[in-house]
Amino acid sequence: MLCENCKERQASVILMQDTQNGPIERNLCEKCAFNLQTFSISPNQEPMSIQQFLSQWLSGSESLHQQTREVQKMPECPECGLTFHRFLEIGKFGCPTCYETFRERLPKVFGKLHNGNTNHKGKIPASFNEKMTIKKKIEELRTNMQEAIQEEQFEQAAVLRDEIKDWKQKLAAEIEEGGSAHGE
Amino acid sequence: MGNKRFMQNAVTGWMVPHGEHADIVMSTRIRLARNLREFRFPIAFSDEQAEEVGEIVSEALLSEVEKGYSYTRMKELPQLDRQVLVEKHLISPQLADAEQFGSVFLSEDETISVMVNEEDHLRIQCIYPGLQLENAYQKANETDSALEKKLPYAFDEEFGYLTSCPSNTGTGMRASVMLHLPALTITRQINRIIPAVSRLGMVVRGSYGEGSEAPGNVYQVSNQLTLGKSENEILAELANIVSRLIAHERRSRELLLEKSRIALENRVFRSLGTISYARLLPSAEAARCLSDVRLGIDLELIEDVEMSILNELMIFMQSGFLQHYEGEELTSEELDISRAKLFRERLKNGPSKADEQTDRP
Ligand SMILES: [Zn+2]
Ligand SMILES: [Zn+2]
Repeated sequence: MLCENCKERQASVILMQDTQNGPIERNLCEKCAFNLQTFSISPNQEPMSIQQFLSQWLSGSESLHQQTREVQKMPECPECGLTFHRFLEIGKFGCPTCYETFRERLPKVFGKLHNGNTNHKGKIPASFNEKMTIKKKIEELRTNMQEAIQEEQFEQAAVLRDEIKDWKQKLAAEIEEGGSAHGE
Repeated sequence: MGNKRFMQNAVTGWMVPHGEHADIVMSTRIRLARNLREFRFPIAFSDEQAEEVGEIVSEALLSEVEKGYSYTRMKELPQLDRQVLVEKHLISPQLADAEQFGSVFLSEDETISVMVNEEDHLRIQCIYPGLQLENAYQKANETDSALEKKLPYAFDEEFGYLTSCPSNTGTGMRASVMLHLPALTITRQINRIIPAVSRLGMVVRGSYGEGSEAPGNVYQVSNQLTLGKSENEILAELANIVSRLIAHERRSRELLLEKSRIALENRVFRSLGTISYARLLPSAEAARCLSDVRLGIDLELIEDVEMSILNELMIFMQSGFLQHYEGEELTSEELDISRAKLFRERLKNGPSKADEQTDRP
């Protein structure tokens, strides 16, 4: 079926829309479903209700009501304008910044989709890898330093402290070079 | 004969049986979803951003990674040609729909395709014949690693590769294996197996996408999770499930031979007769018969038909291919006629009878 709005792309999202005559279904492509919220096309366009994605992901009606009530104070992505509410409706992010905007709420969504998993484990792009290796190194040195202090080996602890300082400087330089999208 | 030349051009790497368990496993595919950091995803980007993404990616691919990629913009490709690429599994239906800013880079042997501005900025795909999960991943990963040196990917320490759809977040990897499982289908065991497999975090579906039943008894098994498991863990789990499916299928085949050999032979040879002589061949019938004949070859009931022809015919029987082959749009009856004709020619003139590589002037 073609999208009702653009009549160009395949419709892949069904949005329920509340009208005076009761709810109607609108078959839209993802792009139109996304755009209809950001740049509301017709003036009598009413806010669309929660659809299948939400019910799939956040099971149970109590969370559904809760979500609806929270819509007002929901964050909106500063980069693409997507709200969390709409994200749940269309099931797609609009840009990489959405992840930052919705960060706190995402583990719940990912948990549903990925069998309880919420953290990436796997390939890391080389540019990020360097930074993360350094972070791991610092963590390891910190643990060693704590152990040294416990065992009252203060000379050893001091050596480790200096080493940590060096690595921290390297990490700062790495971030300067533009390794990270969300610099710390 | 012009037709033969068309066939040879139409055959792509993964259709030639090769690799482990090539009798049951038709192909292995790895897909990596990647996005550029500074741009909105295709669902939300502006026309200018779309153009820019296309330019940045083509510069990285054409200059740095490897020469020998062909570059095609969807808007410059006729509808029918796009459909053929979809039928060869080289691009997704979604990219074929992305008329405005979608494009594809294809390696010379067509094993690697990089789709640009599909659902994500980049979809790196590697497709190999037979069961070759490690090799296919290695190849896709190589391309990805070469690209990441040039392209600032959207990546997050907690969530991994950032993708438009949350079901791809993390590794961004979808690994899938296409399996021909006629004995499990005939004996209806597949209905019990599919739910069991999905409990293990994998998905089984008909080879032509979601919700489709399996024409020709070809099923696609792929990973569902992309978060919380490394690429290697995902590949190992998928390989494990696939090898169990293969073992199941083999056992069922032996059992069928043992318990109902005549019925099986009858079915296989009737199907061979149909695709060798029919004058009208609807696609559902063609798919069913191809599956039977394939099974017949695997079980050595049929000895004078080359297996390689069957993978090709699975692809050639589709409507985009047939219309391309005939050079015109066809009605559904014309399609059935054309399909029957092509099957007859192919089964008589295939590599089993005439050695095309050496004989031709
Ligand atoms: Zn649309
Ligand atoms: Zn956004």
